[in-house]
Amino acid sequence: MSSITLMVALPLLAAFVLPLAARVARPLGWLVGPATLVATIWVGLEAWRALEGPAVTIALGGFLPPLGIVFHVDELALVFALAVPVATLLLWPWDDGEEGVRRQSLTLLLAASCAGLALSGDLFNIYVFYELAAVASYGLATDRRTAAGFAAAFRYLMLSALGSVVALVGVALVYFLTGTLNLAHLATLQDELSNPIGLAAFLFLLIGFGVKAEMFPVNAWVPEVYAAASRRVSALLAGLVSKLAVLVLVRMLLVVFEQPEARVALLVLGTVGVLTGEFAAWRAKDMARMLAWSSIGQLGLVLMAFSISGTAGVAAGLAVALHHLVVKPALFLLAERWGGAIEALKGAGRRSPLGAALFVLFALSLVGIPPLPGFWAKYLLLGGLAGEGTSLYLAGALVVLVATVVEANYLFRTAALLYARPEAGTQPPAANSPLALGTATLLGAVLVAGVVWVVPLGAGIERIAAVAADPVPYVASALALVQGG
Amino acid sequence: MRNLASLLFIVGLAFLLLLVTGVFEFGNPPMRVGQGIQQVGPQEVGAANLVTAVVLGYRGIDTLGELSILFAAATAGGFVLGRHRLARSGAEAGFVLRTGADLLFPLLLVVGLYIVLHGHLTPGGGFQGGVIIATAFFVPLLARPGAALDHRWLALVEGLAGAAFIAIGLLALYRGGEFLQPFLEKGDFGSLVSAGTLPLLYLAVGLKVGAELAGLLARLAEPAGEEAA
Amino acid sequence: MSDPIGQVLFAGAIGLVVIGIGGIVLSRHLFRMVLALVIAEAGANLLLVLAGFRWDAFAPILTQGVAAPGPMVDPVPQAMVLTAIVIGVGVQALALSLVIKVWECYGTLDLAEVRERLEADLAGQAGVPLPGSTERPAGERPLPPATAPAGEVRQ
Repeated sequence: MSSITLMVALPLLAAFVLPLAARVARPLGWLVGPATLVATIWVGLEAWRALEGPAVTIALGGFLPPLGIVFHVDELALVFALAVPVATLLLWPWDDGEEGVRRQSLTLLLAASCAGLALSGDLFNIYVFYELAAVASYGLATDRRTAAGFAAAFRYLMLSALGSVVALVGVALVYFLTGTLNLAHLATLQDELSNPIGLAAFLFLLIGFGVKAEMFPVNAWVPEVYAAASRRVSALLAGLVSKLAVLVLVRMLLVVFEQPEARVALLVLGTVGVLTGEFAAWRAKDMARMLAWSSIGQLGLVLMAFSISGTAGVAAGLAVALHHLVVKPALFLLAERWGGAIEALKGAGRRSPLGAALFVLFALSLVGIPPLPGFWAKYLLLGGLAGEGTSLYLAGALVVLVATVVEANYLFRTAALLYARPEAGTQPPAANSPLALGTATLLGAVLVAGVVWVVPLGAGIERIAAVAADPVPYVASALALVQGG
Repeated sequence: MRNLASLLFIVGLAFLLLLVTGVFEFGNPPMRVGQGIQQVGPQEVGAANLVTAVVLGYRGIDTLGELSILFAAATAGGFVLGRHRLARSGAEAGFVLRTGADLLFPLLLVVGLYIVLHGHLTPGGGFQGGVIIATAFFVPLLARPGAALDHRWLALVEGLAGAAFIAIGLLALYRGGEFLQPFLEKGDFGSLVSAGTLPLLYLAVGLKVGAELAGLLARLAEPAGEEAA
Repeated sequence: MSDPIGQVLFAGAIGLVVIGIGGIVLSRHLFRMVLALVIAEAGANLLLVLAGFRWDAFAPILTQGVAAPGPMVDPVPQAMVLTAIVIGVGVQALALSLVIKVWECYGTLDLAEVRERLEADLAGQAGVPLPGSTERPAGERPLPPATAPAGEVRQ
């Protein structure tokens, strides 16, 4: 089980060595990245097979908690830790030359840091991995080398760095209050944390880590960066990195900050995010920004889901998050050649029937048409919101319904344009590249598989949620390590 | 209007934070983890400098993350700024400046390496010493506008040093322990060769940071021009 | 309430953070935003270091053998700040690289101008009219839709 640390160490090693390897032999440079990711996937699968009991805590460096840093391995962490190398491999930049090497290094660093975010059980360690993901993404956001890209990346950097300062203040407040940074240890210190200062610390951490989770109010960077960067990078950021930022927030909510005010804050911010995201997507005139705002809306739904208490909340959040993890990258890949004005897409479906069909499939799932997985995810979400009973949560359920209607409008409007007759004298955009179409088809197949195996998938999600929603197994596995070690 | 709103927000934030910190008892921290480290640290890790014991031992993976962040920043900086620009052949700096810079180079190098190697005994360590080493390479560059660093050597040192850090960690894993577990003899407490693999780790850190920052600073200083083919 | 020295130190650290955040939010010049970020990060690091201070305690360095000379300051915040400072340096270096590139591409570092050019570039890249652009003058008969640039968008 200690080998799971390789999921972080191997991509880091590959990133450091890649520039040298590429200089030695070009084929070596091509192979290092994907080979490392495949090895990382294998390590993750082995760890899942070897997992006994609800959770295992690994003491890094052999130093027992709370003195040392720990990795906490439960199924929730494993799901996301495995999603990282898989998604990175699917969205790998198969580029060449010196710039391609740098791009690949940055992508590997992103993969390593995201795996660390999924597994880490220490507050400052989470901050460090979060910063690594941030710096790697600042670099990747400029990968189209346009002036707009540099400006958008700069604004992203300033907003994210501001969030990081706020998060660091939050970490300082937690350390002032408790003197420890280990999440399991913090879970046992609720007396020190359940006061207004603890809540303030949670809010600071929420704002800090919420930048990558595209949370309101620190998501102003999203439309510009997703429009200016290449679609692959946008897919990585929107699909993968945002989920891990949400996972970090959820861990803190479930394990450390168990006050009801914390959940309410998450619900309110999520709701505002949904409203602003979906309405802005409805008004967007180009595909890339429409998808960006839609992403903000969907992540608002994820945050709302996780604000529901108990297993229902974690199950709903996990379902919506995993669904978005599959659909959003696919939509961004389809937007590779279709990323321009939506009006210009008239008739594109005739030039690329596969692409249009895939777009319709993903749109249907995003809106939540049965029997697609998106329907089940939204069903869990609405059920959870209604189950809470208070007026705030019921209002949230209403917002979700309104957002669904708006979503359906702008997605089907676009789909209709795809199949319409092209304007006389104009040419619709060409079909997407085979790589993009192939990956999108693969993701579509995953979605359809989700339809077929919806029952075992649902049972699995419930099982994972039951363990994750309870701080008791989290603390118990850390204690077991201290006593046994 | 926007400025007024921002100003109110700032004042509110300041008020909130001052209120929050007014509650804290300055000088009397809870010391949960700190107490434990002070008690077992010298025996468990063997470093006289407890901060180094924390940085490389208890929180070793944070240091690896920090190294990676610096590497990511340098790589992203190189990615953003583009390929090596043409060096400007400008006016010569004076004799005093050039000679002074050349004199400083070995001195800075020695001081930097000293701080790196004694990181586990006295305040200092890989990062601090690494920055001084980077300065050692950068100051002569400032004194000679038009000179350029050889980025290939820097990249080589950077890559190998970083790989060495992770390799030491992986070696610990291979020997049956955990990733980044210190091994090797703890040695005499307080002597240069002590604390197991810690001095080696800091040496790797120092060389990596030195090479990285030197390259990054040099690239920032290279003037804009036609991008080299 | 804690003693005055503590209050002054806290006020200083908080003040730096607030000045820095205020600078980032209120600045109209890109380079000043970067400087404000430096100040904010310094303030946050100072706040973190203050978490480990103990009255009448020694530095956590054992110069006389294994036995501690007395109570020592908490070493963990110092290690955290070491990491945070280096992270800050990396981010600042990258921010400066981006400022250089924006200067090269746009020729200006004024925030309002850069935002305008950014919007114009993104709209042009997608082939959509800018919101509020003069391509659709108000009060007149709407012009026929401009034919959007067809074919590949530059990757």
